[in-house]
Amino acid sequence: MSLPQSLRTSITPPELEFIASQQLIEIIPLIAMEKTAFISGAFGPLQPPRRAKTPLWMAINLKLKKKCHIVAPEWLSVEFLQSRLDEELSEPGYSRLPFRYAEVSKVLLDVASDDIQSTDKIRSLLKDLREARQAKSREGLEELNRSELSLSNLSSMEINEIRPFFVHAMGILTHLHRDASTED
Amino acid sequence: MVYLPPPDISRNRPSYAEAYGKILKAHRESPLTSASSVIMLVAPDVDALCAARMMAELFRQDDVIYRIMPISGIAELERVRDELITYNELHTLILFNMGGILDLPSSEWFGDFRPGMSVHVIDSARPQNLSSLFGGGENGERIIVWDDGSAERLAEERKAWEALMYEPEPDSDEDDSNYDSEDGFNESLEEDADEEFEEGSSGGRKRRSLGDGNRKGKRRRTSEDHPRRMSRDERDAHMARLEKHYMAGTWHGQCASGTIYVLATLLERADIDLLWFAVLGLTFQYTTSRISRDKYDDYQSIYSDEVVRLSPPLPPGERNTASSNPDDHGIRTTDELRFMLYRHWTLYDAMFHSSYVAGKLGIWKERGRKKLTGLLAKMGFSIPQTQQPYPHMDMDLKRSLVQKLDDIAPEYGLIELSYPSFMKCYGYQSQPLSAADAVEGVSALLDLAGGVKMEVEVEGSRNGGEWFGGGKVWEIHGLSTKRRWAVEEDRENIPPNGQNTTVASNVKKTEGENNADGAKKEVAWWIRNFWVAFDALADIEALKHSLNLSMTLHRAIIRQGTSIIDKQDIRTMRNHRVVVLTQGPDLPLFSHPGVLSRLALWLVDALRDKLPGKVVSTRTKRKSLPFVVACLNEASNLYIVVGVMAATDFGDVRKNEFGLAFLDAKERCNARTRHSSFDTSILEINQADLPVFLETLCEGSGY
Repeated sequence: MSLPQSLRTSITPPELEFIASQQLIEIIPLIAMEKTAFISGAFGPLQPPRRAKTPLWMAINLKLKKKCHIVAPEWLSVEFLQSRLDEELSEPGYSRLPFRYAEVSKVLLDVASDDIQSTDKIRSLLKDLREARQAKSREGLEELNRSELSLSNLSSMEINEIRPFFVHAMGILTHLHRDASTED
Repeated sequence: MVYLPPPDISRNRPSYAEAYGKILKAHRESPLTSASSVIMLVAPDVDALCAARMMAELFRQDDVIYRIMPISGIAELERVRDELITYNELHTLILFNMGGILDLPSSEWFGDFRPGMSVHVIDSARPQNLSSLFGGGENGERIIVWDDGSAERLAEERKAWEALMYEPEPDSDEDDSNYDSEDGFNESLEEDADEEFEEGSSGGRKRRSLGDGNRKGKRRRTSEDHPRRMSRDERDAHMARLEKHYMAGTWHGQCASGTIYVLATLLERADIDLLWFAVLGLTFQYTTSRISRDKYDDYQSIYSDEVVRLSPPLPPGERNTASSNPDDHGIRTTDELRFMLYRHWTLYDAMFHSSYVAGKLGIWKERGRKKLTGLLAKMGFSIPQTQQPYPHMDMDLKRSLVQKLDDIAPEYGLIELSYPSFMKCYGYQSQPLSAADAVEGVSALLDLAGGVKMEVEVEGSRNGGEWFGGGKVWEIHGLSTKRRWAVEEDRENIPPNGQNTTVASNVKKTEGENNADGAKKEVAWWIRNFWVAFDALADIEALKHSLNLSMTLHRAIIRQGTSIIDKQDIRTMRNHRVVVLTQGPDLPLFSHPGVLSRLALWLVDALRDKLPGKVVSTRTKRKSLPFVVACLNEASNLYIVVGVMAATDFGDVRKNEFGLAFLDAKERCNARTRHSSFDTSILEINQADLPVFLETLCEGSGY
């Protein structure tokens, strides 16, 4: 493949954001649109003031042109994130969060911050969550086992972060193990 | 329909929204739509920039592809027009702050374009050309002037114009005014300004071209022998009416960005960002003395209602001067003090550099400076405090500043120090920025971002600081990393702390004069400035960066202004005052028309109380202060001349009659001149012709 060196290690966050933008999200359109066929499917019709489900990329596009309001997903609220944060801090495992929560929340906070309540609190909660989970990942990596590793409830960004190191490390561990067992 | 009334006046007639709808329709239905279908021509001033930005935003929301071209003056407009006529896919042309005075339906301008094309003119300068406003027919229909209601009052003029236009059979001695094509720095620059006052259109009619040099002697031919349906008296009356319309001098109507804001409201798409640009346009008009305080107050109250309408409600008890949360990008109304950029440098400096205070206290003398420190001391501000940059001043002093000023300043003759204005919050990214500061920053960028090397003070370098003071060369924000020149001219002069910015190596900011790098494309300095300023309108970091530049500019203006007053360089002619700058450290700086106008305004403000007003105009009996400032551009051996007609009261404006006076004088002494910008009171004249020109200016009828 002809990617530059820096991109060969793993997927980049903007790419993950792009993939995450295919998720459906609810909007309140301000303009009317008929059921239109796009490459990934047919969406619409948009009839204000009824809500409609559209892909995230389309919602962002409409929002930037001031043609819709975005309804925040129910996990992007102070109560939900607070409860997850408490869970994160008290239990050793990772708490359940939507798989692509990092990308979706970043995009929504950038574009539709007026449609979300108490955005500064949410931002700080998200930051806390990230740091707590990152701390756990760091500890977990020390116990790297060559044969199996199960980390449940990691989000896609975090997996992406760990992946290059992890794959490389597992390879070396396997190598070492093989060498060790052949010597015996 | 050739002119569009604003929506509150037009009940059944089409207004802005329909015109906009027409643009959209043409864009969507035309098979040839491409990137050059909608072109916006923008004059280089802050108001036009804001208006263009707003229009661009509206277009972007409607998926219309557009193109913006900066135009510096009439010559440039002619050149671009010749280029545009070859574009087949062009169907909409929008002119911001230019072309109002030009006779657009004539074949000399836009008469020859294909019929489907329309030209929208959004110009704040008045008076406007009557045939653009009222002309009918195929040529006339395509020119659409977005008006702010003043055209409604021109009913009399309209009748007069129509009467003269559609009069029966012409006589054979009709005068054709010749339009010399003007290019670059050509010497035969006679008639380029004449088209502005042309009011005829398609041929065969008697024309009265005002101020045309060749036809000085040919007045209206007597025509008693031809049977006319209109008597001589009527004709005279009509002519007089038209003359009054054109000869009254120039003034300004609603700012272009205000017009676009009205459009946005009609389309129900007004929001805080668009409102901010409208506020900037209005503040620009006020701070450059284009509109009077009363008009400013009217518009300001409208806009502050809009702020309330468009902003989410503030929680009660919220302090009005800071952003409430990181996503807060709203606008707040505040009272702005008349000091130049006072939130960004020391209080003493801000008062020192504001022309109003300078005038009242006489800052150019030592006595005046003492008075200033005395005033500050009386208000309870100690000298070290006032020498601190404003953000570092004590909080309680800052809060009490406005109050104390109101109490104590009237003793020194400083009344009306504050005026209501706005400021925009940027979340936690930076402190809120006031409208006046933003306007200062952007206009400094427009004038000076490239082409002149400006040294900017580094904060903390005064009073010995930690290091030995010094300045660093101002460079365009964000551009510096791309330019690592080998030129090391100033390397010795970088003070030890000059490296604490993001630029590691020294950068010589000479984009306008591309000396070393032949591979780089040569771009006119004003085009580059235009785009830098355009980008800065939305980028708070670039805007803050530009405030440094603006401060340096003000320092230079003060230096020059005080030296002029000290040396008593102002010559008083019969009817106006003249200053000629031929030498000085800042001469290349002042050869920019924008900067020179600022100097003129500063001088006027500073000397307002010291000089008696004169009754200059033949029409009104009001006194005014006419000022002419000329500066030598050594590189091209031209003088830039700026004429300013100021009112005797602060906050008032007069119609600027220098445009006509200049043309008059020029034709009488046959000077070689050129109008380089859209403002008719700014002129470039050959070095040798200046003295004669100034003399004829005095002899002129009333000037």
